[in-house]
Amino acid sequence: MLRMFLVQTKMNFVWYFRRDGEMMFWTLAMPVFFLVLFSFAFSTGPNSGSSSFLVPGIIGAQVLSSGFWGVGVMLATFREKHLLRRVYLTPMPPAVFFASLVVYRVALLVAQATILVTVGALVFHVHIIGNPLEIVAILLLGTATFVSLGTIIGALARTTESANNIASILTVPLAFLSDAYVPIDRFPHAVSSALRLLPSTQFIDTFRDVSVYGQSLAHYGAWIALLVLWTIAGTAISARTFRWI
Amino acid sequence: MNDAIVVERLVKRFGPLTAVDDLSFAVPRGTIFGLLGRNGAGKTTTLECCIGLGKPTSGSVRVLDLDPTRPRELAQLRPRIGVQLQATSLPEKANVREVLELYAAYYAIAPRAAEMAARVGLDDKLDRQIAQMSGGEQQRLALALALQHDPEVLFLDEPTAGMDAFGRRILWAEVERLRDAGKTIVLTTHYIEEAERLCDRICMIQRGAIVADGTPADLVARYGGDASVTIAADGFTPGADLQHLGTWTKTGEKWKLATRGEPGLALAAVVTGANAAGAKITSLDMHRPALEDAFIAITGETIEETG
Repeated sequence: MLRMFLVQTKMNFVWYFRRDGEMMFWTLAMPVFFLVLFSFAFSTGPNSGSSSFLVPGIIGAQVLSSGFWGVGVMLATFREKHLLRRVYLTPMPPAVFFASLVVYRVALLVAQATILVTVGALVFHVHIIGNPLEIVAILLLGTATFVSLGTIIGALARTTESANNIASILTVPLAFLSDAYVPIDRFPHAVSSALRLLPSTQFIDTFRDVSVYGQSLAHYGAWIALLVLWTIAGTAISARTFRWI
Repeated sequence: MNDAIVVERLVKRFGPLTAVDDLSFAVPRGTIFGLLGRNGAGKTTTLECCIGLGKPTSGSVRVLDLDPTRPRELAQLRPRIGVQLQATSLPEKANVREVLELYAAYYAIAPRAAEMAARVGLDDKLDRQIAQMSGGEQQRLALALALQHDPEVLFLDEPTAGMDAFGRRILWAEVERLRDAGKTIVLTTHYIEEAERLCDRICMIQRGAIVADGTPADLVARYGGDASVTIAADGFTPGADLQHLGTWTKTGEKWKLATRGEPGLALAAVVTGANAAGAKITSLDMHRPALEDAFIAITGETIEETG
């Protein structure tokens, strides 16, 4: 079982990362590109105020797209290409296949975040001052939430194309409406209050407050509870609707 | 228990379409069983019901005494069967060695990449990526993946579709080797030559139902019709000495003898008769009934030869 998992994970890295240079480049460069672009677009220059808002926001948005694209759309693609159907015939438990896909995406996230935090510190003087364990904990919880919600896309979309469309419709607006790139305080109070009901807002705000503002995770009990509920709901719906064939 | 596979009254509907219509058969252990029919006859659907990819609308399927529609029994079945699907898609960036290693891990066996690649004629392509392989090469790799864990029962769905002559020879030789090793094999095909050469028993399927079954020789004897010898020769008329061979009919210049006997012997007798009469033979043809004649007689269809 462990060997299945390790071999599958190794192959994921070799096939999807090492042999696909273009994808690797864009996956790692995109967050930095966003940081530079938005830092200049939303302020007069590199100042730590907007940049310290953006670094965790962009990482949070990457967590969202990892779940929606990296897992959800990927699973729909695997199904459409009849790859899942072939794997289904083997004794490998579905959980192993799924886990190795998630581990691969988490490793990509770690690489993206490391690069972004490094650039943020060196160029924009953004410093991560929070408790490292709490930062890792909220990142893992967010990843679990959006992987479980993303898997619903992979379960319900019949084709890669429709999965792509669903993921686009969700990811792009959510990134702008969830405090990732733009502070939602700029919206009228009623709107921003409504937006705080989104799991993406709850996750990104908590992650930002803990990482760059050094808040304690203990103050965010309600949001953590909600994220856990979203994760449970997402997992339950995915497990009931997912089809291999 | 002597049957590796028992299918009873299998029906599979997709909405208004009935793909498999009340199909029953049993496959004894150690034999090669062929489902022969045109594309769309229901062969693949039947096979999918045997390997857990499809749930029968009604009827039952048992493989190695396990029910593939029950998840727990399917889990027990998976390591004991090997499957080559018609359209197997493997990750494009993977190479031959990696895919074999990965599947070895899936089945918790030691990888035998080099050995398996050699068995299907891919030993010089171990580092070739899937995206750069021809359809026939990918099919041969799919066969290697079906065989690597040494399963008791093999399901091959149109195994040679899209293969060149080289690939087909390799696959046929491998199937014959597996038969000698006592494996049970179910294969679907629309190549009559393939069914005739490989199968111990054949089920002919038309519109989801079995229209005939038996050994290839059996089907030919029952449905293939008479053998024939056709001769055109100046001044030749079959005399009394040739009447016992069978029934003679004349079309244009040609005399045709329909015979239930051995057509080679009839041919020799006809040539001897013509020579004795001093007739000059201008054309001569012998036809021995083959599985294709039986197929046409049974289904009223010719089988398309395109994949």
